[in-house]
Amino acid sequence: MSRRAQDNLVAAVLLALFAGVIWLCQDFGPRARMIPLPLAIFGLILTAIQIVWQNVGSTDELRMDMIEVPAPDSAGAQSGPVAATRPAAQRGASWREEARALGIVAVLLALVLLLGPILAVFLFTRHYSLRAGVIYTAVFTAATYLLFFVALEIQPYHGILAPLFAQ
Amino acid sequence: MLEAIGAGLAALLTPQAILFMFIGVVYGLVIGILPGLGGVVAMALLLPFTYGFEKAATLALLLGAHIATIWGDSVTSILFSVPGSAKGLALCFDGYPMTKQGQAKRALAASATGALMGGIIGAVFLALCIPLIRPVILALGPSEYLMMALWGLTVIATFSEGSLMKGLIASLLGVLAAFIGTDVVTATPRFTFGSEFLMDGISFPVAMIGLFAVSEMMKLAIKGTPIVDRSLVKEVSTVWQGVMDAVRHWWLVVRSSLLGLWIGVLPGVGASVAGLAAYAQAVQTSKTPERFGKGAVEGVIAPDATMGANEGGGLMPTLAFGIPGGESMAILLVAFIGLGVVPGPDMLTKNLDLVFSMVWIIVIANIVVTIIGLAICPALARLPTLHANLMVPIVLSVCFVGAYATRSRIEDVVVAAVFGVLGYVMDKYRYSRANFVIGMVLAVMIERNLHISLTLYGKDFLLQRPIALAMLAFVLFTAALPFFRTWRRNRRKALAT
Repeated sequence: MSRRAQDNLVAAVLLALFAGVIWLCQDFGPRARMIPLPLAIFGLILTAIQIVWQNVGSTDELRMDMIEVPAPDSAGAQSGPVAATRPAAQRGASWREEARALGIVAVLLALVLLLGPILAVFLFTRHYSLRAGVIYTAVFTAATYLLFFVALEIQPYHGILAPLFAQ
Repeated sequence: MLEAIGAGLAALLTPQAILFMFIGVVYGLVIGILPGLGGVVAMALLLPFTYGFEKAATLALLLGAHIATIWGDSVTSILFSVPGSAKGLALCFDGYPMTKQGQAKRALAASATGALMGGIIGAVFLALCIPLIRPVILALGPSEYLMMALWGLTVIATFSEGSLMKGLIASLLGVLAAFIGTDVVTATPRFTFGSEFLMDGISFPVAMIGLFAVSEMMKLAIKGTPIVDRSLVKEVSTVWQGVMDAVRHWWLVVRSSLLGLWIGVLPGVGASVAGLAAYAQAVQTSKTPERFGKGAVEGVIAPDATMGANEGGGLMPTLAFGIPGGESMAILLVAFIGLGVVPGPDMLTKNLDLVFSMVWIIVIANIVVTIIGLAICPALARLPTLHANLMVPIVLSVCFVGAYATRSRIEDVVVAAVFGVLGYVMDKYRYSRANFVIGMVLAVMIERNLHISLTLYGKDFLLQRPIALAMLAFVLFTAALPFFRTWRRNRRKALAT
């Protein structure tokens, strides 16, 4: 998918989101919607303008914007506080790499929900040998358990599967 | 008064007070580094252990822990772009680029020294201003707080990465995310879809963990290499460089500290706003603003100095009126009750020595944190060299446990993961995550104060509140200033050519 198509897709999702907020606001009383409704309308208008703008210019201009932030250097799009934190590798990341990163988060989340946060740690240490991975897992799991659930006395969550193990 | 200053210090020189201060500082550093847990959690967890001890020792434990969390928050923001709490967000913008350039030691040392200097300035002004601040605070009402919140929105342009349109959209998304839950004014459930969990709203620390920590780990997993590859980037800085940076930028430290003190004095504004406002102030007043976001040490010093001074400011309304400046100060009020201390005007007469004990605690705790911080800087600076395969599971796991620990609700882990994906998408397509957070922080403050202003003074509340009107003029001036500067610079360039 081209960069322009991706940008359009993201903007379309945002457009739908703002439209949804406006629709939901109709159920609220006048005071409850006093702030969210005008802001959502403003967001909808801004996003619509953004979609038009990003389809008018060339692909290179997708890094720029109709209302460019006044920045003293001519770098424009690259001159924000967060721009420098973006790794070069990410700009050229393939969809496979992105899917893998998303998969790591999804698998870890699923494990946390199934087994609880303590057991669901440290499952991706490909870089190390099995023995080193197991040692790291054990040490880190023990440290996390002691810190959060013993020292800080946070009520532990044992996961959806806990009742099965209990039986 | 001098007698009270001496008595306040003497109360802290007992073995119990010294031990409690040390325990509090070390504990606070650990808590501060953990994502999702900040000064509030640190103090809340210590509270049950504070009964039956000396007053000064108890306060040394609580305040020492709270102050140490400030620098603890900064550490992970600088090294991994993972803010321990909302306060540490502003440190990500320049601290993390410095780490990637092999200047982690310098950034950490500048951060610790900036916090120390800010803390001392805050404590000194706390001591000097306590008798003077009462009429100032009483002159400010909801309309003025509304203007303060609107002033916070003017920093959006600073964080917009060259695209104000996308920056505005991101901040609007943040504002709408903050409205998820029960409306504080009308008790209407908004955007909850019948979910009991969403009635409480999205936890701010959890959203932060997702937007920054989880999404950064996704980026690191894609990159597949350490944050800092020592074969490519050597550590080129020293701890001493960072210390001298903070000293060299003393005027920035003073300005940022006074800003932090002022924000701390205003009840309910909070240190998260202070850090962002300090960063924006540093950018707006710099002669070379184009260096910010690329590893400018001033971008590390200003937020830390502000947050250091913010604690002194937060104590003022807490001590003088019994109005907590923030959540952590509310916990301090609970501790006061346990100690049999009644905040209010009596604090400035009958308990003046205790007030000065707290001023001394802020100073001493900041010094101890800085000494420990500078000592461990070299070891901490090695952490970003850990391989991504080790770093990603560790940080992600701690983030998820931290998200769960925030409210002991497993749904918060799901929220952190969702916000993580959202943060990654926003970063990739240049919708500023910082603006999202700014919108989220300021939304409730704007809505609440607007409603109260309308109820109290009607639709023309600005005309009835001259201070608010003057503040609005200041807000408009601040918002227009960067545009005017750019116009002037372009005009000069045009004239030169």
